[in-house]
Amino acid sequence: MSALLGLFLKFSAFSLIAFGGVNALLPVLYDISVNQERWIDAQTFANYFAIAQAAPGPNFMTVTLIGWHVYGVLGALIATFAIAWPSSILIFYLQRYIQNMKNVQHQQAIQYAAAALAIGLVLASAWQISWQINHGMIAYVITLGTIAIMLLTPWHPLWLILIGALCGLFGII
Amino acid sequence: MNLAVCIGARFAGVRGAIAAVAGLVLGPITLVLVLAALYDQYSNLAAVQGILRGISAVGVGLIAATGFKMMRNEFRYPAMLIVVVVTFVAATVFHLALGWVVAISLPLGLWLAWQKVKQP
Repeated sequence: MSALLGLFLKFSAFSLIAFGGVNALLPVLYDISVNQERWIDAQTFANYFAIAQAAPGPNFMTVTLIGWHVYGVLGALIATFAIAWPSSILIFYLQRYIQNMKNVQHQQAIQYAAAALAIGLVLASAWQISWQINHGMIAYVITLGTIAIMLLTPWHPLWLILIGALCGLFGII
Repeated sequence: MNLAVCIGARFAGVRGAIAAVAGLVLGPITLVLVLAALYDQYSNLAAVQGILRGISAVGVGLIAATGFKMMRNEFRYPAMLIVVVVTFVAATVFHLALGWVVAISLPLGLWLAWQKVKQP
């Protein structure tokens, strides 16, 4: 029971700061679940991250899997609920507040600034988490190749995930 | 997720937001748990470990690519790229905690954005 409560409290608090999306704060999620709470080890984190990336759906699935690891299906549901409710409520009021602003210039300035902050965080998150997840040159080649292909071609990400999986299956990575 | 909240709320208020979120998550949760159960059974296999290594390397790239794609919009006002760089450096080079990163980048971002939008 205290494990469930721990999941709920930790992920709720995390959600409160993660209203820019979980992917922007993967290093914080890693720190909480691997270093602080020791719910999972580094390898399991990387694997759960991979499963969550491969499965369709929202980007907080890594959290769902950590919850599942700690306390089965109930843990998964509690963790997912915990990661969702604070940021949802926050976003709900935030967007209403911004939309109702009389001053359009203020509105624009906030949107510009928030977007720039979010981009910086997402890039920093990818950078930091790559050191935890990628082992060896080939992994970084695949990561960089993914970035290039996503930016230069209209390919659907699912193809890249498939290619990554095949590289792993045939022992290239 | 946050998009679902915004869209649901716009169409049907609080209930819309809740319905949008529930519709968005229940299917994927079921699927991801099935995958997790399979992972528990077969995680010892070298092939499974390899596949996951490959997918996670791609996954990191996808997240970075999302960031770069969002950055394209910022080129309408290149000064905002300073905020992107400051945020990135504060988090990666100086390993500042999130609160400090936001405390530095948000005022800077608001100020720079204000310089842009206050002009007619």
